[in-house]
Amino acid sequence: MAGFFKIAIRNFLNSPTTDPYPFGETFTPENYRGIIDYTPELCIGCNTCEYVCPSGAIRVREKEDGSGISFSFWLNTCSHCGNCGYYCPTDAVFNSNDFHTARHQSEKFIPTIDDGISYVQCSNCKQKMKRPVEALLARAYEEITEEVRHQTSLCPECRRMKRFERM
Amino acid sequence: MGETYKVPVGPIHIALEEPVYFKVTVHGETVEHVDILSGFVHRGMEALVLRRNFLQNMIITERTCSLCSNNHPFTYIMAVEKIAGVKIPPRAEYLRVIADEVKRAASHLFNVSMLAHLVGFHSLMTQTMETREVLQDVKESIWGNRMDLGANTIGGVKYDLDKEQIRYLIKQLNSIKKPIRELAAIYRDNRIVRARTEGVGVLSKEDTLRLGVVGPTARGSGVNNDIRLIYPYAAYDKLDWDVVLEDGCDVRARALVRLREVFQAINLVEQCLKALPDGPVKTKGFPRIPKGEGVARTEAPRGELFFYVKSDGSSKPERMKWRVPTYLNWEALKVMMPGNKIADISVIFNSIDPCISCTER
Ligand code: SF4
Ligand code: SF4
Repeated sequence: MAGFFKIAIRNFLNSPTTDPYPFGETFTPENYRGIIDYTPELCIGCNTCEYVCPSGAIRVREKEDGSGISFSFWLNTCSHCGNCGYYCPTDAVFNSNDFHTARHQSEKFIPTIDDGISYVQCSNCKQKMKRPVEALLARAYEEITEEVRHQTSLCPECRRMKRFERM
Repeated sequence: MGETYKVPVGPIHIALEEPVYFKVTVHGETVEHVDILSGFVHRGMEALVLRRNFLQNMIITERTCSLCSNNHPFTYIMAVEKIAGVKIPPRAEYLRVIADEVKRAASHLFNVSMLAHLVGFHSLMTQTMETREVLQDVKESIWGNRMDLGANTIGGVKYDLDKEQIRYLIKQLNSIKKPIRELAAIYRDNRIVRARTEGVGVLSKEDTLRLGVVGPTARGSGVNNDIRLIYPYAAYDKLDWDVVLEDGCDVRARALVRLREVFQAINLVEQCLKALPDGPVKTKGFPRIPKGEGVARTEAPRGELFFYVKSDGSSKPERMKWRVPTYLNWEALKVMMPGNKIADISVIFNSIDPCISCTER
């Protein structure tokens, strides 16, 4: 037993190893995969997150009134795997390090995030289209010039026509 | 002396960590014969994965069980990469080993602490868990979760280590070396632990080979079947290490193998960190998975894990099958248990490091 006595006495002299949570602070790493967060300004409505989510916790759909794309997320279905954040091209969806997942029973089956993006109008033909996202432009172009901005304000059809005109 | 009667142990039993049903025939207090009935936690995962695409399945396979959770997606991904003909970058190979060995160390510490719990040495159990907690913190800080690392992806790994994280990892690993050395000495020499583990649940080398037992259970009987060595994958062939073998053939020998493998795991991680090549951690883009079949094997903490994946060229697998280590190891219980006391059943059961949720999927 001598071996263990040494450890026991040392433990007796040391301070407790447990955190006083919820009355004090606890260790929460920066990288902890907690509750999903969503930034609509960055979203391009590409549906990748829904495609890679193994739990079916995300739904990306065209809004019923056709005004944009909706993003719904069910916390109780999420398994905190981080696949959505890993594959999202603009980091619009990501894991925060918030681990407080307890919710009221009444919120169990309703989306905890019910948000989305609205379509914008093409600057030429006024047709509805997905809006350009700065984060993605910054990745595609070294410098975002006026020309680039103008191009991205057009719908794909008008953009094609513009290109033909220049030929 | 006494007559023969039957005792049911399980599927829900105070001394069993997982639901499995033993029909034990005892003579007096001595076990004569064991029948195993299983199937209590079948979840139909092999059917489920056929309805999900290849990317979703990386996560679903990880949820097969929690202690070898890294090995399931790892092996699945290796099989898929074989179909797609993907070669992962060298840095990813090392990062895969790091994630796997940290998981292995934590898994083995969990098993030996359960052993301490079952022999009634609870302070040893809590102390082992306490030491393991450092590894849990490491996993949480680097990969974001205590159990499901989500480290691998098709074509490489999802995480990268910067200088800061490497320093943190080294510091944490160094901090548990001494405590684990102390604890290992207690597991090896303590009178109580020895009395409950030495000569208990003997599995001879012949029986090990006959039953095809895998993992630390086999290595405790002197059988070298470490997939990392005989069929190297990731970066294991570039590292300097030896297979841990013990020849006690009993519960104690299996525990000692696991404890020595904890040190080996720490050493392997350190080697990887030292040799970590620069470069990308993932191949570019996402590969199309063509029509084809692939198999892969890895050494999970419990033994050899085998995956078969068949693809028909669509986004979902056509068939997937995995064989887990406990499936082979629990047959050996029928050899290990007879001749022992009824009180030793749970200790022997624990010594194969059973994972029923893997086995029944
Ligand atoms: S959250 Fe990201 S992945 Fe999901 S639709 Fe928006 S941009 Fe695409
Ligand atoms: S973390 Fe995983 S389960 Fe949760 S929404 Fe994202 S992909 Fe789905």
